[in-house]
Amino acid sequence: MTLNKSTTKSYETDASGLRGKAKEVIFPNSIPEVQKIVTITPKIVPRGGGTGLAGGAVPQNGQDTVLDLSKLTRIQSLDKERSSIEVEAGVILDDLQHHLKRYNLEFPVNPSSHTIATIGGMIATDAVGSRAIKYGRTSKWVKWVDIVDSQGNLQRKGATELSDYAGMEGTTGVIVKACLKLSPRKLRTASLVPLETVKETLALVRQLKLDSSVSMMEFMDKRISKDLGLEERYHLIVEYESDKGKIKDGAYEKLLALRDRTYPLLASEGYTRIEDPKILTDRFDKIMPWFESKNIPVFGHLGVGILHPCFNHDQEKFIPEMMKLVRKLGGQISGEHGIGLLKKSFIEPNDKKILVNIKKRTDPINKFNQGKVI
Amino acid sequence: MSTKKVSKQDKLEAENLMEEVQEIISPCIKCGMCKSFCPVFKTLREEHHSPRGKAVILSEKILDKVLFQCNLCKACEVRCPLNIKVCDAIKKAREAMVLKGHELKQNKEMITNIRKTNNPFGNDPEKSKDKLYCC
Ligand SMILES: Cc1cc2nc3c(=O)[nH]c(=O)nc-3n(C[C@H](O)[C@H](O)[C@H](O)COP(=O)(O)OP(=O)(O)OC[C@H]3O[C@@H](n4cnc5c(N)ncnc54)[C@H](O)[C@@H]3O)c2cc1C
Ligand code: SF4
Ligand code: SF4
Repeated sequence: MTLNKSTTKSYETDASGLRGKAKEVIFPNSIPEVQKIVTITPKIVPRGGGTGLAGGAVPQNGQDTVLDLSKLTRIQSLDKERSSIEVEAGVILDDLQHHLKRYNLEFPVNPSSHTIATIGGMIATDAVGSRAIKYGRTSKWVKWVDIVDSQGNLQRKGATELSDYAGMEGTTGVIVKACLKLSPRKLRTASLVPLETVKETLALVRQLKLDSSVSMMEFMDKRISKDLGLEERYHLIVEYESDKGKIKDGAYEKLLALRDRTYPLLASEGYTRIEDPKILTDRFDKIMPWFESKNIPVFGHLGVGILHPCFNHDQEKFIPEMMKLVRKLGGQISGEHGIGLLKKSFIEPNDKKILVNIKKRTDPINKFNQGKVI
Repeated sequence: MSTKKVSKQDKLEAENLMEEVQEIISPCIKCGMCKSFCPVFKTLREEHHSPRGKAVILSEKILDKVLFQCNLCKACEVRCPLNIKVCDAIKKAREAMVLKGHELKQNKEMITNIRKTNNPFGNDPEKSKDKLYCC
């Protein structure tokens, strides 16, 4: 099925807010349908939930066909002994979690977009999320992926070839199915710790890193804390996989929901451009003064050094300066959202070379996500 | 869609309604958090049926019949972190469509049926069920 011009508009943007232009939108219902479409379509933008923040799913120049994988929703063979499950790319993370609840299992990577991000999109961006300190990135929990290559062939890629697809933002092939590793569901509790200074925050993070029951350390600066209805101090949400935290059950769920609302809330105040630099946690005190001097609100997964400074329109001119500082501190320009269209100009030449080589090897005819990432 | 001659008054009212629609949806940041709670999106799994998709279409000032594929349940409004009243915007846009004569034929038939028989499907409900849908 393809759409008329009016309804196609809804596919010409994603959570980055960038606008593009699509030639058409197609919704395959099965993997063989994906293969057929890929064989006969010259330029393809794979799309999942459209929650990407770098414009990776935004079609360009009216020439791209958007391939919406949202209808590939089959959740298949659960292997309880090996704690793994096969799922199609369009399965939404929360739907998978809901399915796994009855087996007391879960997929442990938890981006704040869990209500709508798809497994295919999470693998393609190698999504991280708030529990990264304990569980790392999505790719760590993927046994294999089935991809459709530029000739329409279905191929299974195991651990050794996974990096050609995980984190490549749909530039190398269409992920149609994956076998995911699972983890037992945990009892979780939390503490909300108010802090006076950046130094004090860093000291607490260092101490908490020694505690193996800590699964989340989410930082919020003073301004964000106030916006969320907390005291105007720095705050750290600390999640424990034990009953150590004082915040439990319903109150715990509420606290996590509050944290998930942080970016939308900032965006509603005009801070729409969210970035995701990653630095060594130990260097947090070297970058915070820069953000504060420019009134740029910051939150993030401090346990793994991924920060989310949010820029308003006037502040966007500071982004290149921030990238320079991040590099100077030995960090990376993108810790989790990917490069997409927004961060292309900040890629280091050496990194670009590696990405170009992968692209040439996997998609020599440049069919997938042309103009993105590299 | 049916077409009728549109009076100046109706045109003006429709334009005012569309201005109100723009005011409601302009703060939308396209985060998509409303999508998974929308029963229509959950069933059809197509972006243009989701509240975000409809907000994008409306932000382009497009009045498309897809706006009638919403059961006005307000789940999106409850879930939107920015409190955007997408459902209200859809309702207003539908009003504007009616004023502009772009109302759906099926809708007209349903309203006539209700007026005549108190039943959206008319006197012979089984016959109408294939072509009329009613929430
Ligand atoms: C409010 C909010 C909070 C967020 N929080 C986090 C967070 O905590 N951590 C984090 O890592 N990210 C976060 N994100 C970013 C985003 O949710 C993730 O990148 C997510 O993994 C994208 O999934 P998606 O299904 O929406 O993919 P899309 O946005 O549809 O696509 C993202 C990219 O992947 C490609 N792609 C999608 N599906 C496929 C497929 N099947 N095969 C090949 N390529 C594909 C697209 O072409 C595009 O380049 C957040 C976004 C929002 C709006
Ligand atoms: S209506 Fe609200 S929840 Fe939906 S995309 Fe817009 S801002 Fe996000
Ligand atoms: S009001 Fe309409 S758009 Fe909003 S959740 Fe209900 S059906 Fe979906």
